[in-house]
Amino acid sequence: MGRILIVDDTMFMRTLLKNILFSGGHDIVGEAGDGDEAIAKYQELRPDLVTMDVIMPKVNGIEALKAIKSADPSAKVIMCTAVGQEQMVKLAIKSGARGYIVKPFQAPKVLEEVKNVLSSA
Amino acid sequence: MKEVPIKIELEGRWVPTTMGIAEDRIRIAAPVNREIPYRAVVDLEQKKNQVLVTVGGDQETTYRIASVEKVLYVLKKLILTSCSAYRLNAFFMSPAIRGGVLVQNAKWEKGMIAVLKTGIWFVSQENQVCIPLEDVASIDLTSREIQDKNLDVVKIDHLIDNEVVTSFILCPLTTLQVLYNFLNEATQDLEMSEEMDPLTTQVATLVYSGMDSHAIENMLQISHKDLDDIYDALIAAGIAEVLYIRKEIQLTAKGVRYISSVLKSSTN
Repeated sequence: MGRILIVDDTMFMRTLLKNILFSGGHDIVGEAGDGDEAIAKYQELRPDLVTMDVIMPKVNGIEALKAIKSADPSAKVIMCTAVGQEQMVKLAIKSGARGYIVKPFQAPKVLEEVKNVLSSA
Repeated sequence: MKEVPIKIELEGRWVPTTMGIAEDRIRIAAPVNREIPYRAVVDLEQKKNQVLVTVGGDQETTYRIASVEKVLYVLKKLILTSCSAYRLNAFFMSPAIRGGVLVQNAKWEKGMIAVLKTGIWFVSQENQVCIPLEDVASIDLTSREIQDKNLDVVKIDHLIDNEVVTSFILCPLTTLQVLYNFLNEATQDLEMSEEMDPLTTQVATLVYSGMDSHAIENMLQISHKDLDDIYDALIAAGIAEVLYIRKEIQLTAKGVRYISSVLKSSTN
């Protein structure tokens, strides 16, 4: 089970992810509503894993991912974006994302992906 | 013609018989006694270890055939190659996304797409994938980066055992457009006539994600009755169905008496 930081600009999606991850036995150590806040919260909380929305106001998810990875190369980040933006996958993976989930998502698959990323080296 | 043992459903009963398989036809032995050229087949459906073969004509007849996987694999391949269907050579990737999570080892397979009355089939050397049209959630003409090029693809979201799966089809653009239009028309019943309000959309999203009624009430801070009304609207719009009805109960005098006595004896 992991300590997870949820990053998404909509409270609805944050609440949904929080419920899913909590039901899988994970601790939600923090939430952030944009990329800037995500970078600051990561430094402060040092979570085991981050779920990161891609399209966000101010600093977007890809930029936040790069900032987090440059500060902590071992950071585990799963990107999360809307359907139809799958082209972002390559960019995200190239920038160091460990996994990718597409909204709308189903709870068992999200938990499986989180488990896989948490158990990866 | 190679003879193989099969079971065929006749008047609700499974009857053991044999089937001869040739390059252009099958022959089902007694009690059916029928020769079926593959080009006369107008539909093919798959149900676990059975296939349903529908033969056209003045009156369509459907044969439900059960056999071992190897026999059904050969039968499906021969039928799909020659039956009456919209067919095209294409690349496909299925599944590419499962439940919102990208399938890491997904790869493009070269093969054939056959669109029949009730489903879309992908057939390659290694795979036979059937997507029943009734399980198609959406069809989009979109682009995807393949070998550093942005190429147009048809994206199909469909259900497999209540899990949402995304598959992609890649072929020349003109064919892709025809396929997209064809599939769109075949699944027109799935279109919503009007948009739902934001709260109803949120409830539908949560149901999609696997949340139960209790979790939805808590997350959206709505009452049981309000949620029931939204469920009714989703059911009436044809986008949801009742899974089960959970009862809310209260104890009768007999129940209260029983619980009181149990608690009394356990605290003594």
